[in-house]
Amino acid sequence: MKLNLTRNEKLFLSVFGIVYAALIVYVIISGYEFDLEGVGIRWIYQLPFGEGPLSRINPMTVFMTWGIMALIIIVAMSFRRFELLPGKRQTLMETLLGYMLELTEDAVPRKRFIKPTFVIACTLFIFILIANIITAFPGLNTTVTEDGMKLTLFQDTWYSPTSDLNTNATYAVMVLVISHVFAIKAKGFSTWIRSFFQPHWLMLPMNVISEIAKPISHSLRLFGNIMGGGLLVLIISYLIKYFVMPPFLWGFFGLFIGAIQALVFSMLAIAYIGSLLE
Amino acid sequence: MEIADALVQMGKYIGAGIAMGIGAIGPGIGQGNIGSRAMEAMARQPEMVGTLTTRMLLAMAVAESTGLYSLVIAFMILLVA
Repeated sequence: MKLNLTRNEKLFLSVFGIVYAALIVYVIISGYEFDLEGVGIRWIYQLPFGEGPLSRINPMTVFMTWGIMALIIIVAMSFRRFELLPGKRQTLMETLLGYMLELTEDAVPRKRFIKPTFVIACTLFIFILIANIITAFPGLNTTVTEDGMKLTLFQDTWYSPTSDLNTNATYAVMVLVISHVFAIKAKGFSTWIRSFFQPHWLMLPMNVISEIAKPISHSLRLFGNIMGGGLLVLIISYLIKYFVMPPFLWGFFGLFIGAIQALVFSMLAIAYIGSLLE
Repeated sequence: MEIADALVQMGKYIGAGIAMGIGAIGPGIGQGNIGSRAMEAMARQPEMVGTLTTRMLLAMAVAESTGLYSLVIAFMILLVA
């Protein structure tokens, strides 16, 4: 196989290789010791009032959520004017959103609810996609040591809000509530209540449990993928020091798995909303 | 270390290993089925390869989720108290 590279690609690859080799040499010379202390433990802030689980917050989740929201808003501001002859970025967005719209039209049977479902699913998709993709790049993260909490820069990937179950559970419960509200709006209250007694009133506990199980599986799927991916990268890098490329693993778990899971999350949201509208 | 603590530690490690090992059987079988059927479909209709690949990846991601539950449980056994 013969590689045909342009001059810019050759330049990029050689700069990347030199930087990567220099980083490895720097890490070995400086004697940086990587240990698994504090892996899987989060920085938790106890609020001065209240007690119990509701009085604790994860500050990194809050910061990163607001940061990603600001990023999305800044990018969205640049799309204010749509042109008749789309450029590169506009074509990308139109292809993406058109694909999502096709999926929504296939899954939602009532015409009135296609647009709200599409908006909800697309918002979830864009947020989760960016939140997952930043786990492929080194950045700001926290580690918990015996002395307390310390911030680390460029030693680990960006902290992703989706690797915290609170975020995912919030979105999953939100989708559940929205789907039932849409169902009540579309079919009326009595029909909605009666749908729990189908096909027989003995099936009521089964129907209720299947509704409760939806957000649990919905949120744990995303959480397990992102959190488990991050921990797997750490463990593999710990086992094979300096030889396996963390960028490769970050790329696989962050870009590939992250994009697929974002699509799966929003598609399941569409499917859950659509299945209750029939 | 007291013998009780050692026993608790041993139970944690064995439990996490068993949870992850047995939990990985189901998704393995499911993903194998999905992959083999997708390959058959692709061989039958090579012009559909693009759509089939994305659908296959999506179905695999959904089939994977039960394995991820066991991963979460294993981490909970190991890390959380």
